[in-house]
Amino acid sequence: MTVLFGTLGWRPQSLVPTIRSTENLERVQFYHSDHAKSRDARSKVIEFCRSLGVAASAVEITDAYDLLHVAGQIRADVRKERAAGTELRFNIAGGTRLMSSAALLVCILEGIPATYVHDETYREIPLPLLRMTYGEGLTPRQREVLAFLVKNREKDFTETALARALGVHKATMNHHLRELDEKGAIERREDPNDARRLIVKPAPAMELLVG
Amino acid sequence: MGFDERHVLPALRLMPYDRLVVVAGRGTFRSPGFRRLKALEPDLRAVGVKPFDLGASLASIRETIGLASRDGPVRISASGGPKTLTNAAILAAFQEGIEAWYCDPDPVRLPVLRGMRLEEAFSPAERVVADLVRRPVPYDRLVTTASARGLARRTAHAAVRSLAAKGLIDMLTEQGAVAVRPSSRFPLFRDHLRPAAKKG
Repeated sequence: MTVLFGTLGWRPQSLVPTIRSTENLERVQFYHSDHAKSRDARSKVIEFCRSLGVAASAVEITDAYDLLHVAGQIRADVRKERAAGTELRFNIAGGTRLMSSAALLVCILEGIPATYVHDETYREIPLPLLRMTYGEGLTPRQREVLAFLVKNREKDFTETALARALGVHKATMNHHLRELDEKGAIERREDPNDARRLIVKPAPAMELLVG
Repeated sequence: MGFDERHVLPALRLMPYDRLVVVAGRGTFRSPGFRRLKALEPDLRAVGVKPFDLGASLASIRETIGLASRDGPVRISASGGPKTLTNAAILAAFQEGIEAWYCDPDPVRLPVLRGMRLEEAFSPAERVVADLVRRPVPYDRLVTTASARGLARRTAHAAVRSLAAKGLIDMLTEQGAVAVRPSSRFPLFRDHLRPAAKKG
């Protein structure tokens, strides 16, 4: 069975073709704004799903001004469905730019097949996304270091302190941090209290990668 | 990408650059805001795209990144155009491993791993197998042909399973025999799956 996720703007036509084309569709979950026209579109999509005998749930996003926050919210929903072993699809055609981009970000990071629907022809167009999580581009050890830094973002760790906290040799930690640095996953900042010390911090938004 | 002044101008103020390339719909290049910017930045390079065609925009942006990368590091501010252009820019940034920012209005850096290109998601063995799956082919024959091309049988088996997990090939059982065929998504990755050129 497949759960279809989607972003919805003012036009139900941006989501309906994917509802029609998805095989073994179990449920549709879509995100929309609190604009009156978006709520109208929501009613029409729900009505369409009802006519097909497919369950539908709509999530109104009222504070859609923070890309990472919206992406985090969508990702949590997606992971919940995935944990239940369900096949997932995502239609990112509708909604505000921020909502659609947040959905795309989740699809890239989680490896979810995504489509958009052409504005004029309403033809479905699949996006070139692999079914693999983007974080797999890091080695397991790099992911572990980054996840630790993300979890402890508020704390200040030097390279040595980090090696001690994760129980690895300093040279090994130095190797992992250099790799993470090259990939832009971490930042090294001067300690404001001691200019000789460098504090290691995860780059912004890495929560979405390893959180 | 794009030229919505509310997004592009703050992004230019916040993100230092040596060279500037604006990718946008051709109508944008006639706007007063763009002309003002061009007066300030005479070396600015403008690349025209169909901003509402995500696939075409993605191809243009990837090509633009490729050209610009020859002259030094590249980063993208993705949020200056319509939704489709922004999404094409985000997708291109992840495919090419390019630092990307979303300014709406505050700049947010996206979690792109620098230098990690989509091509790297495919092992040499996967490329060999993908090259052999142009049409439906019996699984056993596929593995035998891959072996003839220098892959160990075990490596060939693993590559087939891995391509299936990535959603690029489908495995079907017909009359007791397993056949492998390219999935509907396979053509989307044709460029990325080309066998690597031999060295030397």
